[in-house]
Amino acid sequence: MPKPHLALFAGLLVAIGVSHFSDHIDPYHLDVLTGIGINVILAVSLNLVNGYTGQFSLGHAGFMSVGAYLAAAVSMSLGPQLLGDEPTVFHEGLLFLGALLAGGLSAGLAGLLVGVPSLRLKGDYLALVTLGFGEIIRVAFQNVESLGGALGLNGIPPYTTIFWVLAFVAVTIFVVTSLVHSTYGRGFIATRDDEIASEAVGLNTTRYKIVAFVIGAFFAGVAGGLYGHFKMTITPTGFDFTKSIEIVVMVILGGMGNTLGVVLAAVLLTLLPEVLRPVAEYRMVLYSFLLIVLMLARPQGLFNFRLSFGKRSPAP
Amino acid sequence: MSSAPAAPLLQLDRATIRFGGLTAVNGFDFSIGEDELIGLIGPNGAGKTTVFNLITGVYQPTDGAVRFCGRNLAGLRVDQIVACGIARTFQNIRLFGSLSVFDNVRVACNLHRATSPLQSLVRLGRFRHDEAAIARRAEELLEIFNLRRLRDAPAQSLPYGEQRRLEIVRCLATQPKLLLLDEPAAGMNPTEKADLVRLIQRIQKEFKLSVLLVEHSMKVVMGVCQRIAVLDYGVKIAEGTPAEIQSNPKVIEAYLGEDHHKSIAHH
Repeated sequence: MPKPHLALFAGLLVAIGVSHFSDHIDPYHLDVLTGIGINVILAVSLNLVNGYTGQFSLGHAGFMSVGAYLAAAVSMSLGPQLLGDEPTVFHEGLLFLGALLAGGLSAGLAGLLVGVPSLRLKGDYLALVTLGFGEIIRVAFQNVESLGGALGLNGIPPYTTIFWVLAFVAVTIFVVTSLVHSTYGRGFIATRDDEIASEAVGLNTTRYKIVAFVIGAFFAGVAGGLYGHFKMTITPTGFDFTKSIEIVVMVILGGMGNTLGVVLAAVLLTLLPEVLRPVAEYRMVLYSFLLIVLMLARPQGLFNFRLSFGKRSPAP
Repeated sequence: MSSAPAAPLLQLDRATIRFGGLTAVNGFDFSIGEDELIGLIGPNGAGKTTVFNLITGVYQPTDGAVRFCGRNLAGLRVDQIVACGIARTFQNIRLFGSLSVFDNVRVACNLHRATSPLQSLVRLGRFRHDEAAIARRAEELLEIFNLRRLRDAPAQSLPYGEQRRLEIVRCLATQPKLLLLDEPAAGMNPTEKADLVRLIQRIQKEFKLSVLLVEHSMKVVMGVCQRIAVLDYGVKIAEGTPAEIQSNPKVIEAYLGEDHHKSIAHH
């Protein structure tokens, strides 16, 4: 079995293991772990776009909201019809998987619609377009009465378990890592390093950017679905611009284009507000302050291990 | 003027490009046959790099046409033209700085990769075979150009001369029929220039391709080119063998000024 598959397999085993013992874990810790997992999915998938492909997207929360709403709609509208009165765990799981994939696919489609026209733009323009998209989506959800409008959608079934979160963490990391460590995927990094040179060696850079963008949006949608079924309620304001920034910060702090670093940064930045709970009202002040310190101390990314990273094995 | 070969590999047919009021290249008639090594020279701003950009699809000709293997290149994207078999280097080197030397070559093999991106996830059978073939090809190229020892170094850490060489190797990985070199000798000392001349000749023979060379160094151009075209203000003012060009008064006047008559003769 190829090495990345072993890692994926191990990740899924861990997910099963942790969920098996989840009854013995403090519910608060379990909640924090779920939050961490969702943020890891968001950060790793955004890293494919912002880090590896070098396109600055600020719309990740927008794609997350598309996935969250669609997945919630699927399990709330189709759920009662399909499951009947006495649903089994297996059927619930199947429905939830379907809902998550539907959320992911719709977010991916949104990514395609936003990406095709805007990925011809470079740098700042793309950031502005994706920022605008995120806001448009938020306002749209605020005004659709059937999705709860400004009050949001309530009563989403609590399908998200630690198993689903960790399993999708494993899948996300697997997909991004496998892609990047292949001849095809090196095109993402080439596009980031020098777009003109990439075209000159025969890479269709627009296509690469769109592929990265759509895959990134897909996993943001899945993360949104997990989030909705975890919180059981979603509001449009939960997916605003600050959420996008939060994910971008994780990517930058982890070191653009460094999956391991981004995972660690996502863990750290999700834990930090929890650890800072004792200082109550100063929590966000301290959080912001620590962010500034981290950025100043490690501008290349907190966990940038590029030196050891350079000596990879020759072929995958 | 030498006559064009029967079936030219590349043919510029009165190629013209205007930027607003400026005609950067005007009615440029030019062709390259198979296995030819041709020079394109001219004073600064004569339109040499613009000609490269016309051939590689960065610019579309306002008038006239560029044909490669008989096919009109109008409307093709840059990467599609590379797929037809035209590769180029850049005046200011453009490598993938964060990728290793090896990966710089491997990524250029993407063009002839047989597998789909989805197989990057499945990673079985065909994909492994494909990746192994690409790795082998890249290793071979690095070996030929003596870059094997720098295989895992990030491209941006290479010395200048090696970067130039790597850029050429990367071009060859796309399996071109025509190689366009944009001032490859810029910034090189005489020893490096002599090495470069040998390298260009070797590539042309071993890889059986045609080369179009834009170069300021007369020593390099006169040393390797079978035929030379001279551009001045976007117009071709002469074409011929190095000897013919060296003694062409129009060239000397336009290119170096009359005072330099002696200096060009001595090179």
